[in-house]
Amino acid sequence: MNDNDLDTELDTRVAALEARAPGRDDPPRLTPRRRPRRFAASLTMTPLLILGMVATAAAGAVVVGQLAIGREGIQNPGQPLAGAHMECMTPPEAAAFLAEHGYPDVVWQVEAGDPTAGGGKGSTTSTQQATPPDHGYVIPGSILDDGRPIMIVDQRVGASGDGDCFGQPMP
Amino acid sequence: MESLRRPALSLAGTDAARRRDAATPRDDPDAFEAAVRPHYRTLVRRLVLVLGDENDAQDVAQDAYLKAFRSWSRFDGADVRAWLYTIALRLAFNHLRGRRRWLAVLQRVESRPWTDPSDPDLWAAIRGLDVRTRSALLLSVVDGYTHAEIGRMLSVPEGTVASWISRGRASLRLVLGDDR
Repeated sequence: MNDNDLDTELDTRVAALEARAPGRDDPPRLTPRRRPRRFAASLTMTPLLILGMVATAAAGAVVVGQLAIGREGIQNPGQPLAGAHMECMTPPEAAAFLAEHGYPDVVWQVEAGDPTAGGGKGSTTSTQQATPPDHGYVIPGSILDDGRPIMIVDQRVGASGDGDCFGQPMP
Repeated sequence: MESLRRPALSLAGTDAARRRDAATPRDDPDAFEAAVRPHYRTLVRRLVLVLGDENDAQDVAQDAYLKAFRSWSRFDGADVRAWLYTIALRLAFNHLRGRRRWLAVLQRVESRPWTDPSDPDLWAAIRGLDVRTRSALLLSVVDGYTHAEIGRMLSVPEGTVASWISRGRASLRLVLGDDR
């Protein structure tokens, strides 16, 4: 048997060998690409999600609107009268100082009464006025939305003052 | 023996290719399946012989099928079988490289080696060939591709293919000779 005969027999046996090898008729499915189910679910939920987000934003706005508005103290660093130490002034001195610094109109909130009276329940008042009272501890407030400063004057029994004048006699 | 000679590997740019291009929609999964699916069974068999493992063969065949589907729009419309085998063999070579590295790390792998009780000596001799030699020999012996076609499929010069096939045949002739 020559090489050609051998090759012919070889080709036949190799082809037969491959024909005996296990084959499969089931290639992978070629379904068109679909969005993952998880994403599809979220798509159907989109209107609800948007509604939820709008409702949350609206509720948040209401809650925030009802929160007390915090304002920086008028003497805090960076504020118009930083480091003025008005707490050591009498109310008229503070009024003059504020007028000199561009605040002729001031809201004076006078706290008065005795917080220990009435068996501990206390009896105090809080009034706002345009003119400074004659005496009391000055507690510098902040700038209101209309641009006027609000100053607290504590005249209550047992008041002790604030800041550098804490514990000093009531002006 | 029935002639297994296939058409030229690439007919891109020829009238024949243009006729096939016109007849084969490039963006239609049904057209892809109609053209490629008939070759899937033989592809798995070929990969069993190239990889020597049924599980590996099925994995690589599936990868090749999906990769072919993704590349369907770029297929030149010439020889579907050669195109599919080219994709699959390159994946198989990469798979073997990866498996060897993996085996080196783990020293084990879940495999299902194929054995052929009908012609165990021939199978042992084929398995003894380098994987590229084995692939080239099968493309020549079973499919009837020319050395030039095989060279394009395996990205090697035609002379290299001729050398591989010559060496491969010599090794297998020894088996046949011993059988007599």
